[in-house]
Amino acid sequence: MNRAAAKSSDGLRDPVLAAVLANRFDGIVREMTNTLLRSARSALINTGRDFSCAITTADNRLLAVAEGLPVHTFGSHIQTASMTRLHSDLARGDAFLHNDPYLGNTHPADQTVLVPVFADGRHIFTACAKAHQADIGNSIPSTYHFGAKDVYEEGSVIFPCVRLERRYQMIDDVVRTGMRRIRVPEQWRGDLLAALGAARTAERRLEELCRRYSTEVIDTFIEDWLDYSETRMMQAIRALPKAVLSADGAHDPVQPFLPDGVPLHVSLDVDPDQARIVVDLRDNIDCVDAGLNESEACAINNVTTGIFNCLDPTIPRNSGSFRRIEVLLRDNCVVGRPRFPKSCSMATTNVGDRLVNLVQRAFASLGEGYGLAEGGVSLGAGAAVISGEDYRRGGRPYVNQLLIGGNGGPGGPSCDGWLTYGIPVVAGLTYGDSIELDELRFPILFATVRLMPGTAGAGRYRGAPAMETSYGVRGGRMIVVIISDGQYNAPRGVLGGGDGCLATTHLVYTNAVEQRVANFDIVLLDGTAVLRGRTNSGAGYGDPRTRDPRAVRDDVLEGWETPERAREVYGVCLTGSIDDESLAVDIEATTHLRR
Amino acid sequence: MKSRESRRYQLSIDTGGTFTDAVIADWRGALYLGKALTTPRDISLGVREAIQAAAAESGLELQALLAATDLLVYGTTAATNAIVTRKVARTAMLCTEGIEDVLLFREGGKSNAHDFTQPFPQPYVARRHTFGVRERINAEGGVERPLDEDHLVSLLRTISERGFEALAVCLLFSVVNPAHERRIGELAAAHLPGIPVTLSHRLLPILREFRRASATAINASLRPGMARHLGRMEKSLRELGYDGPLLVSTSTGGCMEVPMLLEQPVHLVKSGPAMAPVAAREYSRREGETCDLIVCDTGGTTFDVGMIRDGDLVRTRETWLGPRFSGELLCLSSVDVRSVGAGGGSIAWMDAAGLLRVGPQSAGAEPGPACYGRGGTDATVTDAALVAGYLPSEGLLGGRMALDVDAARAAVARIAAALGRDLPETAHAIINVAGETMITAIVDITVAEGLDPRDCTLVAGGGAAGLNVVAIARELGCARVLLPKTASAMSACGMQFADIVFEQAAGAFTTSSAFDRALVEKALAAVRAELAAVEDSLHSGSGQSRTDLFVEARYEGQVWQLDVPLAGWELGPAEVGALVRAFHAVHQRVFAVCDERSELEFLTWKGRLTVTLPKKEALRQPLRDARPLPRQRRQAFFDGVGLVDTGFFPGGELAAGAVIEGPAVITEATTTIVIPPGATATLSACGSYLIDTGVRA
Repeated sequence: MNRAAAKSSDGLRDPVLAAVLANRFDGIVREMTNTLLRSARSALINTGRDFSCAITTADNRLLAVAEGLPVHTFGSHIQTASMTRLHSDLARGDAFLHNDPYLGNTHPADQTVLVPVFADGRHIFTACAKAHQADIGNSIPSTYHFGAKDVYEEGSVIFPCVRLERRYQMIDDVVRTGMRRIRVPEQWRGDLLAALGAARTAERRLEELCRRYSTEVIDTFIEDWLDYSETRMMQAIRALPKAVLSADGAHDPVQPFLPDGVPLHVSLDVDPDQARIVVDLRDNIDCVDAGLNESEACAINNVTTGIFNCLDPTIPRNSGSFRRIEVLLRDNCVVGRPRFPKSCSMATTNVGDRLVNLVQRAFASLGEGYGLAEGGVSLGAGAAVISGEDYRRGGRPYVNQLLIGGNGGPGGPSCDGWLTYGIPVVAGLTYGDSIELDELRFPILFATVRLMPGTAGAGRYRGAPAMETSYGVRGGRMIVVIISDGQYNAPRGVLGGGDGCLATTHLVYTNAVEQRVANFDIVLLDGTAVLRGRTNSGAGYGDPRTRDPRAVRDDVLEGWETPERAREVYGVCLTGSIDDESLAVDIEATTHLRR
Repeated sequence: MKSRESRRYQLSIDTGGTFTDAVIADWRGALYLGKALTTPRDISLGVREAIQAAAAESGLELQALLAATDLLVYGTTAATNAIVTRKVARTAMLCTEGIEDVLLFREGGKSNAHDFTQPFPQPYVARRHTFGVRERINAEGGVERPLDEDHLVSLLRTISERGFEALAVCLLFSVVNPAHERRIGELAAAHLPGIPVTLSHRLLPILREFRRASATAINASLRPGMARHLGRMEKSLRELGYDGPLLVSTSTGGCMEVPMLLEQPVHLVKSGPAMAPVAAREYSRREGETCDLIVCDTGGTTFDVGMIRDGDLVRTRETWLGPRFSGELLCLSSVDVRSVGAGGGSIAWMDAAGLLRVGPQSAGAEPGPACYGRGGTDATVTDAALVAGYLPSEGLLGGRMALDVDAARAAVARIAAALGRDLPETAHAIINVAGETMITAIVDITVAEGLDPRDCTLVAGGGAAGLNVVAIARELGCARVLLPKTASAMSACGMQFADIVFEQAAGAFTTSSAFDRALVEKALAAVRAELAAVEDSLHSGSGQSRTDLFVEARYEGQVWQLDVPLAGWELGPAEVGALVRAFHAVHQRVFAVCDERSELEFLTWKGRLTVTLPKKEALRQPLRDARPLPRQRRQAFFDGVGLVDTGFFPGGELAAGAVIEGPAVITEATTTIVIPPGATATLSACGSYLIDTGVRA
């Protein structure tokens, strides 16, 4: 069969081969993901799944991301571009370690292993395995150094795309450097090996694929697939109304570094005629003297995530669909591009989460059916980095980020918020910790991990409720680093939907006295108090008084909502009781109340 | 000639969602299949009809057959269906206070970051049916908060008053210290008489509270209904005149006696699909195959894939019932069989940007493919097979089901126009793209186990298997395909070859550098005692048994374990050394890396008891070296050569030893096997088609 002759009406050179091979590339990324998840050492990776894998082309275009976190994968090609720029002697058997946010990485905690893949003697792909490390040697025991005025105070070890393997042999100098500077070094080395294993797995599969189909066919596929993805994106944008959208918001104040917080502004030019969206982030303040600056990769990928959240979720996410999105940045701006040595310690989360929210809220101003409300943004007690020495194991040191009881997700045009949403940049993809595994591994004891009734941002489609997580230390002292945005500026509802609730952190002492903890703080737990974090709920979409009364009844029945809020916020009157399952909507009274 | 007394039979029955299959093995090892529609209102009607059909094939009356049957194995989808449709007992759940939302939160995860149209899944037991118990045990088993019995009793009263039918109990760290769960068991027996109670540490002694809670809740919710189901089934079989032992197939890839399943009905879930690899293992043994197997079962709407590695079933502790993340997670050790939505009914379509897609939508049985002539107009995989020339002109089921070629051509023509290709080529493309979903499923399951498909034989069953199995095997690099003539009833056939299998586990955490031999041997002694008690309680079986031992181990800091086999009950320094080496090897195979500098952690010690059931050897036909002539010749489309003259061979006319070279199509009553050019099929003495795909490893 002459494949070149079979050209479909929309310009795909081979629509059958494209369907087949796209599937194979996704399969390879899933295999990388499985390898990394199952073999990693730190709970953040092996339980939390705070990592991503991707494949880029040799000329640094993003090709396949499968189920990776958008905040990780969308910039992989910017990162591999630095590899090809810095290393003119790429060879089979190489691997590179890259966590440099000034060279295309997201933030220093996301250490990435890059493996150039060769076929017929030429570099054809790069396999990328990026994992958020439990520790990176910062000057405080957290990978999120909010107070760092620059990269020196931040203290992370930065590997600016250094060679990790040559001819499949580990270059021990690199590993020794990390082992001297990173807390719990064996955990770090194990995670590095897991990421390397994932990238090498991809290399093997990609080489097989090139042998099976020939590099010529693969080259054709790459162009076909990126063109196809672009076409899908163009069709989606053409279906939008032409508009210039904008949204303003802010990251919370952080004392004493940022008393006014970080005000944020995004504007979007949605142009269905040109099938393009241009996002302008230039009208924002300069880089701040704190760890909250966006890296270039994060600034781009977070607004891109916001856009993808508002379009057909089946559009492939790669450099083809990205061609229709342009993000305007300026140098030394808090939302990219950072000027070295300004710190990007927290680039993937805080300001990044706000960018995702702003973009999807801006889309909602197109009217009903468009955009999303804002999702919860707090990274409180349940997402803190804990560290100390485990009295049960002869004082062995530990450090890890918890991932338990996250924020509620945003309401959308057709659906309520996702409960285990986490934060906007992960959007439910990460896993939650097992309480039992955390308690086995660390001297921690959880008192509560539960949903908070009556907290959801109300709406026709409501946000998901907030959660409460509380824990104490079982012995010795535990350092807890908290970076909770969302304590002053709540997630905003859209089109008449209610805002999400504010997050809080408290120390609850044994005598029941409660003490509020600052939003960004380092807390010492010593057994006299339990740390209690409450997250944001997701905000609502649309007027709550148009919500299906049966959905309100179900929420009350299951203890997500209270009967009082059903009446006052949703205008729904209920009869019967929960205990005997007779709870029902009083249709007449509800109609009257909603009039 | 054997005497009449030795003319004994073995019977297996598989009640699926649509069809009930019955398989009879006679004293010579010959198999007879009977099929009937499943009768949901009274399952025993369909069962009776299927047995009758199989009996007729073997030339017997129903009563005579049952009177001469020594062993009956029953398999059912009733448990799976009950969970999927939530037609289960009204179940209350007790959890540690403060952590009651464990079933609601699950373990997180979602399938598409940008998809905000998926509702969050409901917990298996409603929040309002979940109650917090005032107690707390820590990671070492110490009591942080004593059990508040007064409060507990008031909870049990509430549960009694609200008319719950089952109780599930899952407390934190009950696996390390079961005292509180045990006490709840005692108090529940007193306060909730007649209500079955499932305690998590008894059912599934593993850490990870969600997984244990999920299995416990599912088990509890199934107990009343499955007790009724199995009771009724046993009664109706007895009324039909069967008085031998009754065994029921389980997800462990074996069977159990009814009393054990009354307490642990969760083992019934997905038991049908678990039997296909059991069948495949036996069929391949009969052919003298020694390599690993990929086992595929293709129906009209789903494609199941499993594996046999080193002659053993591959098991998993992570089986999703329904979609990943939003379905139900079954964490009991069960045969690893994964299902994807793909089959003969999958619909082909062109997306807006010009890509050919197949599925996930399916035409199902109604209206079905366009060629069924029941009003379907979408082009399905079956329509494509007809247009490509793969289906016999007289229709399916030996001509009993006519096919509308014009309707199929019209349906495929719409895709062809969009694709810019001719009809046969388009039909072939549809089958190719449909195969992609199956290839993905196979690749996902094999790579997760570090198995290379190129080293495997592909064993295929199910009605739609033969259409593209050779093409799929070639794409995976498999040199051989085995397709049994009885392929359409893989699960029921598997039950003919199954043994009694029961697993017991005990937790004992220790490390390679400070190996606590006393602790581990105590745990193994508990496993041994439990397995001995189970074996003593059995009424059936040959008396021959063996126990395989495993430990779930990992590197320090990891949280996902790998199974490593143990050589025996004793674990001295030499055995531990061997165990550590075996772990590194398994880790290398599965994850492409190992870390010999790292310490190992051992968590769960497992024993699997296998009690051998009597089995019939295969009936072997004398081999004849024959190159049969086709019954008819038609044009069919194949990759690389286009439309070519293709021989059609009715399977019933082929003798053992027959060799058929592609391009060819073999038509069996319930399946159609496409042999592309370059592939060769041989009918074996035991009644399986052995296909050389032409791929050279």
